[in-house]
Amino acid sequence: MIEPFQFPFMQHAALEIALLAPLAGLLGAQIVLRRLAFFTHSVGAASFPGLVIAGPLGIPPALAALGVGGGFAALLERLSKRAGVAADAATALLLVLALAIGIVLASDVFESGASVDQALFGSLLGIGTSELRFSAAALAAALVAALFFRDTWIATGFDAPSARALGLRAATADLVLVVVIAIAVVASLDAVGSLLVSAIFVVPAATVRLFARSLPQLELGAAGLALVEGIGGLLLAYELDAPPGAAIAVLGGAVFAAAALARALTLPAREPATPEAAG
Amino acid sequence: MSAGKGEKLLEVEGLSAGYRPGVAALSDVTFEAPAGSITAVLGPNGGGKTTLFRALLGETPQRSGTVRVNGAVAYVPQTERARLDFPVSALDVARMGTYAATPWWRPSGRAGRERAEAALERVGLADRAGVRFGELSGGQRQRVLIARALAQDARVLLLDEPLSGVDGPSAERILGVLAELREDGHAMLVSTHDIHQARAFDAVVCLHGSQVAFVPPAELTPELLARTYGGEMIVLDGGERAVVVQHHEH
Repeated sequence: MIEPFQFPFMQHAALEIALLAPLAGLLGAQIVLRRLAFFTHSVGAASFPGLVIAGPLGIPPALAALGVGGGFAALLERLSKRAGVAADAATALLLVLALAIGIVLASDVFESGASVDQALFGSLLGIGTSELRFSAAALAAALVAALFFRDTWIATGFDAPSARALGLRAATADLVLVVVIAIAVVASLDAVGSLLVSAIFVVPAATVRLFARSLPQLELGAAGLALVEGIGGLLLAYELDAPPGAAIAVLGGAVFAAAALARALTLPAREPATPEAAG
Repeated sequence: MSAGKGEKLLEVEGLSAGYRPGVAALSDVTFEAPAGSITAVLGPNGGGKTTLFRALLGETPQRSGTVRVNGAVAYVPQTERARLDFPVSALDVARMGTYAATPWWRPSGRAGRERAEAALERVGLADRAGVRFGELSGGQRQRVLIARALAQDARVLLLDEPLSGVDGPSAERILGVLAELREDGHAMLVSTHDIHQARAFDAVVCLHGSQVAFVPPAELTPELLARTYGGEMIVLDGGERAVVVQHHEH
């Protein structure tokens, strides 16, 4: 178990996972509670054309991804709020556009030379110090944002129609949440790529949510599970010579399936999970 | 009787409110609520009960007339509006009422927690503080939401159909809490479809697009109810009892 971590590339990969895991707990909890999973996935996918053009244009990939992902989030907000398009339809529309534009740019049209595989599925074994620094900065940003806004995120998610009557700065808090999620997603691109960000930010939190009875339980549990699944996936990839991003995603999916099955078998039917089903 | 009883906490004069310019969803509302009072807000669905509350909270885009409030206004929604699947305890929910009073750059601390605990105690749920909101009964959830409003330190409470969807004993407990808050000098507006219940309160505001009446409950005559509800109501027992036919369920 220890032997693979003698290599610097494995140490870097493990360190990257250790930086992303707290983000998976802190932001993953908000993502599953606030139903932002599809949004998170689509910000990741939207960053793909940014990664493709970064090389030829000579801009840092993280910056390009952040620009395109941020632009995507802003456009999504406008489309769903102003144009009256349902949020999930708008997300799907922009998601398809982003992937298609990325593929066209990556083809001979732009001669970018970027590796589509790496952009889509990550390259955890090629993590360098600049990537680690960006992830550390993303973690710091998320921790600061949570310090100020975590209470408001929860109160707004719990009862959005009353947020204003409670005197909460819900709009500001929501904007900050979306921005730190976008930054965290970009930080995770080197590890898991545009298409697998959910493996970090959605799958562990969704798994722990089956059992968590409080927000701290959900946050700590999701962070811990992300760490275990990340390191486990890394070792699996090392042993099998498989892409690590995909290995983490497969491991996460398997753990979720097992957890959901265990919950269904050990516990009686859950209390009503929808607001409509109140008594 | 507590100090300050009889002092006007809420004065509304010529209030009109709506969501689009030039279109008033509610107009000509004039009433007042003193400290230590419960005012029923009656009216058909779409009659303006929700619009009145939103206007008093400053949430309607269009508003004219004057609203004078002594202290803060807090809102108690129907419990079905909250997410029952959230991993938050009764105490967590009550604490949400204290977040705004905490400066936004400071996480809410011990003072907020103590205020929330006191509010839960006030509604008789101190022993349920650690229970998940979604696992409480409908009546208990309603009382937790009242505690959240109390934690806001508001003297004026707007309650949106607090008795709908709860069983008899739970409704009695909620009414007991409201009676205690009246003793404490709160002014409460309670939107309701229960005319029998409205008769037990201190005053009644009848809304049907505009204000039909602001009267003491004794003056809630069958004629007035008929004007308030239009064709949506059946009066029984020569006006002693009235049943509202609801077209619309939440």
